[in-house]
Amino acid sequence: MLLKLAWRNIFRNKRRSLITTSSIIFAVLFAVFMRSLQFGAYGNMLDNIVGSYMGYIQVHNKGFWEEKTIDNSFSVEEIEHLTSSENITYLSPRIEGFALASFKDESKPVALLGLDAATEKEHINLDEKVVEGHYFSAEHKGLLVGKGLRDIMKLKLGDTLVFLGQGYQGSMASGLYPIVGFIDLKTPELNKRTVIMNLDHAQELFALPGLVTTALVGIDGDDWQGAQQEVIAAIDTNALEVMNWQEMLPELQQLISVDKAGGTFVLMILYSIITFSLFGTVLMLTEERSFEFGVLVAIGMGKNKIIQVAILETILMAIAGVIAGLVLAFPIVLYFNINPINLSGQMQEVVEKFGFEALIPTSLDPSIALTHSGIIFLIVLVVNLYTIFKIKSLNPTTAMRK
Amino acid sequence: MIKVTDIHKTYDDGKVQVHALRGVDVEIKEGEFTAIVGPSGSGKTTLLNVIGGLDTPTQGSVSVSGIDIAKLSENELIDFRLNHIGFVFQSYNLIPVLTAKENVEFLMLLQKRDEAERNERTTKLLKAVGLEDQINKKPNEMSGGQQQRVAVARALASKPDFVLADEPTANLDSKSTANLLDIMLKLNEEENITFVFSTHDQRVIDRAKRVITVEDGKILSDVTK
Repeated sequence: MLLKLAWRNIFRNKRRSLITTSSIIFAVLFAVFMRSLQFGAYGNMLDNIVGSYMGYIQVHNKGFWEEKTIDNSFSVEEIEHLTSSENITYLSPRIEGFALASFKDESKPVALLGLDAATEKEHINLDEKVVEGHYFSAEHKGLLVGKGLRDIMKLKLGDTLVFLGQGYQGSMASGLYPIVGFIDLKTPELNKRTVIMNLDHAQELFALPGLVTTALVGIDGDDWQGAQQEVIAAIDTNALEVMNWQEMLPELQQLISVDKAGGTFVLMILYSIITFSLFGTVLMLTEERSFEFGVLVAIGMGKNKIIQVAILETILMAIAGVIAGLVLAFPIVLYFNINPINLSGQMQEVVEKFGFEALIPTSLDPSIALTHSGIIFLIVLVVNLYTIFKIKSLNPTTAMRK
Repeated sequence: MIKVTDIHKTYDDGKVQVHALRGVDVEIKEGEFTAIVGPSGSGKTTLLNVIGGLDTPTQGSVSVSGIDIAKLSENELIDFRLNHIGFVFQSYNLIPVLTAKENVEFLMLLQKRDEAERNERTTKLLKAVGLEDQINKKPNEMSGGQQQRVAVARALASKPDFVLADEPTANLDSKSTANLLDIMLKLNEEENITFVFSTHDQRVIDRAKRVITVEDGKILSDVTK
């Protein structure tokens, strides 16, 4: 009966109920879409830079991150035992060096990345980033060149790059390598300066037999903090350093934090408006019906039951608003997940200046919808404190005199 | 059944004190059909409210069916009203979103009576007030007279000890008034239901079996016909 009363009361003032429900629908739609876009953008950044390139955790020779020289290298044998840990799925050894790359009369300083082709293919799908030519194989040995560098140096498949640089302990690093493919690393900055070769070629080029500068640590699940502690506990930290993506890319972490705070501020404004809208409804509902509440108390209906009816009304409107909001938000979020927003003009320049791809896909993380639905219900409960207070303090004779 | 002893009620808004009741003593027995009459501001509604446990006296005691209602807590009073008193208001005050049947059934639902009993009693009461063919109409689809008859049926639904009616005919035309009085008198005579009215409607006063006249918060006369 209480539910029936609450349900029918919603239709007593259809316009007001419609306005209230619409404001909830708008809030849910806007909040879910905005947060999906934000989290999608972060996810994309992390995926492009961290998940598919740097890894969440890296092990280096102590001091490598401060001074990225070939001399700061270590033997991968020192950490091979890590793969026996439960949360560590793989190790991918790399050499990160620098050299001057020349083709015809063009020379550019490039970041030379030597990696284990099979491991990177298996775990971070590096082969899927090849946009022209082939990934490394028995038949295709040579270089994968960032597509940005390709355009700058006007390179083609089969062209040969000449490298000149400094190898291990002051030795000369030089060599000629054919281009077997061009690669899109999803960040314009990386594309403009990265050249990838097989680890053994890089070791040969830099005169680093058996040594690497970096080892990516693959983790099981999302708990990179836990995995980092596990690695720290398992290796000699006097000789090696273990860094997570936030330590390696503090600017990315800061950018995400600042952007999140901005988003939270916008959402706070939105939710303040919704709170006042809902409070307006509750205020009118309570004031308009104080006579009726007085009558109900007079004829013997307990105040708690009246409170239940009044709260049920707003909860039912909130349920309708939240469901409708989510139903409307889902196809939009899904659409932009499949067809990410492609930034253009100034926005594209700004984003690319930070080294990120100017594509923003939305996130399909269900926790976004759950969080914002929860916030709406919390607001409903908070504004209903007024209803509870008014009904609890209601005097039937005073209420019926109004 | 109802025993009011030396009741005083003073309203104090901080500036002015209004003495609505000044030492009222009255006893109403089962089966009475009593009208409390008097001009506006005489204290008749206050007396009715005190008897109905809607207002607490400043001084004195009100005993209803042997219970001193002035000593009950707020929740106990609400429960007491639900189970012992039926109310009929001047403006009908039915629940607008419920049908006639649901309005009558409402108090029985609060009393947690079973469905079969609710259905039987609702049908019987709506038949008694001549509205058996209007059960699915909502208040805004009925005339004032019909709404007041539903209100009477609602007041009786909880099987109260007595019914308090505050100026029940004030908003009704002559025909509806006569019709309502016929129904209430019939219920009083055939089912021994006690009715206590506050009114200044001469048509009600004429048909009341006992008339208590209140003026300036005191009982001026108490006449049993």
